[in-house]
Amino acid sequence: MKKLIGIILSVLTLFGFIFAKDITMSGSTTVFPIAQLAAEKFMDKNPDINISVRGGGSGVGISDLILGRVDIGDASRRIKNKEIKKAKENGINVFEIPVANDGIAIVVNPSNGVNDLTVEQVKKIFMGEINNWKQLGGPSMPIVVISRDVSSGTFDTFKELVLEGGKVRDDALLLASNNAVASTVSETPGAIGYVGLAFVSEKIKALAIDGVIPSENSVKDKSYKISRKLYMYTNGSPKGEIKSFIDFILSKEGQEIVKQVGYLPIN
Amino acid sequence: MKKVKFFSLFSLLLIVIFTNLYSVETKFSAEFWSRYTADFSENQLVKSYFSLERGYIGLQPTFTDKIKGRFTIDLFSSDKFEDGAGIKLKYAYVDFKMPVNDMSLQAGLIKTYFGTIYDWNYATIEKSFDDKEKIVSSADYGLSMNGLIPSGFGEYALSIYNGEGYSKTGSDIDGNPALSLNLRIIPIVGITLGGSVLYENHSLIVKADSSLTDTVRLCYSGMGRISFGLIDIWGLYVAKNKDQETGAGFMIMPVLKLSKIANFIDMEIVGRYDMFDKNIDSAELNDSHNRIMAGFNWNILKDSKSGNPVIFLQTDWERTSYEDTTKAYVDNLSLQLRYLFSGKIK
Repeated sequence: MKKLIGIILSVLTLFGFIFAKDITMSGSTTVFPIAQLAAEKFMDKNPDINISVRGGGSGVGISDLILGRVDIGDASRRIKNKEIKKAKENGINVFEIPVANDGIAIVVNPSNGVNDLTVEQVKKIFMGEINNWKQLGGPSMPIVVISRDVSSGTFDTFKELVLEGGKVRDDALLLASNNAVASTVSETPGAIGYVGLAFVSEKIKALAIDGVIPSENSVKDKSYKISRKLYMYTNGSPKGEIKSFIDFILSKEGQEIVKQVGYLPIN
Repeated sequence: MKKVKFFSLFSLLLIVIFTNLYSVETKFSAEFWSRYTADFSENQLVKSYFSLERGYIGLQPTFTDKIKGRFTIDLFSSDKFEDGAGIKLKYAYVDFKMPVNDMSLQAGLIKTYFGTIYDWNYATIEKSFDDKEKIVSSADYGLSMNGLIPSGFGEYALSIYNGEGYSKTGSDIDGNPALSLNLRIIPIVGITLGGSVLYENHSLIVKADSSLTDTVRLCYSGMGRISFGLIDIWGLYVAKNKDQETGAGFMIMPVLKLSKIANFIDMEIVGRYDMFDKNIDSAELNDSHNRIMAGFNWNILKDSKSGNPVIFLQTDWERTSYEDTTKAYVDNLSLQLRYLFSGKIK
């Protein structure tokens, strides 16, 4: 009898291992710091739940959710109509959860004397109509334009809010992450780029846009124009461990994490 | 043939140079299908061979946020081909975003938006049913206005093609255009319903030596898909009316996604049943056939960043039986390794 109970327990343990429901998430590199730190804190409180967090970009996160590869898709842009269609075809009922606010900071090398630009000037720089800092009251120095690759959610938002659908100049350097843009701008005197607010450091200088410096207050009161929401997407309204995790992110403690990594609380 | 191959490779080189000069971003992709096939007739092995069944090399340049392109060539190699290997241009089109939301115009060598042929992802090694039964070709020269129904409720395509397919060449090409309409709707999450019609009037341009007996070619299809959790079932009905014959048939394909049970088992078990009658109006001809397929797909390796499959193993057993009892049934056993690479050139 003891042997039988032993076998049953072993089988149940094996099945428990195979079917244990961990939380998996992937997506936006902008949302990644929130997801990672929140996951660490949440796992500290709930040691029986394992959360794996992967980056890859907003497109990857949404695609992973659509294909059922992850429980949560992180995105720094809203899901597109064609992605909703694909999700519905695959039996995935996309549920949107805004988790943070973010401003996209226009950044230059700290040695650059220019401190303030208008949205129109930024647009002209990125589209190639303004090519030298001298045209903006700065030193005579060619402008090196650094942008994100077109699959990035940050690029999508920048394109919508600044370029208004226009094309980034052909010789722009396209980089794959916020960190890569920040690093290149910090090492290139004539460079201009754009990063999520959380990626601004003392190594780069965030410019005031239309006279407004990107900050918690200016994004919150919407006076800073280049801002957006950050999202997590799930299959249907979250349930079980996923609901607990999302509730944690939206809680006071979770929104403190949002602030800690440089973004702004959703409410 | 050598001239054609040289021309294709030269064209590809021009495309690479051109897209690099004028694009904002250019993605490339390569996908190779290495296949082993064993053919049996009444359980006797009659043929066994290895082949590079497909070698898709593709470029997807983005010229502006409103203009994109897609260029794909197909390299294939096997003893079964006369020259041992071949090269074909599969897609070459430019996609213009329209001022209306989620609508675009494609022009060039484009996909044929009909039935399941345009989004067939080869859950079985075998081609889509509408492709296999030669209802339509998978790509053709033409124009297509494609769009999405708001809130993800479906898609539509209104197209005009040559109607002859991308691989047909020579003097027997019919010069009449074919019109096509495709509609897919998703009334509730997990259920897709669709229908397509392709109409070609052969009487507009008639060659002196034409052997056509009909003035109209009419193809139509109805599809349904149910996808819930680990179950994904595809169904397709197709019919083709040409040369005073109406052929019709259906396919049903259930897919069991084991990854939905446990993340680390990234496999699918697939079954498929096809039935096609070449002439449904004549019961005496004994010209129908059916296929039964069973296999599994295994994502051996995924890209660590995107999570997309990089190496993919497929096996497929297929039996084709004929209504004509003088014809023996045929079995095919296939084992295929698909490997994919993608990235950015610019």
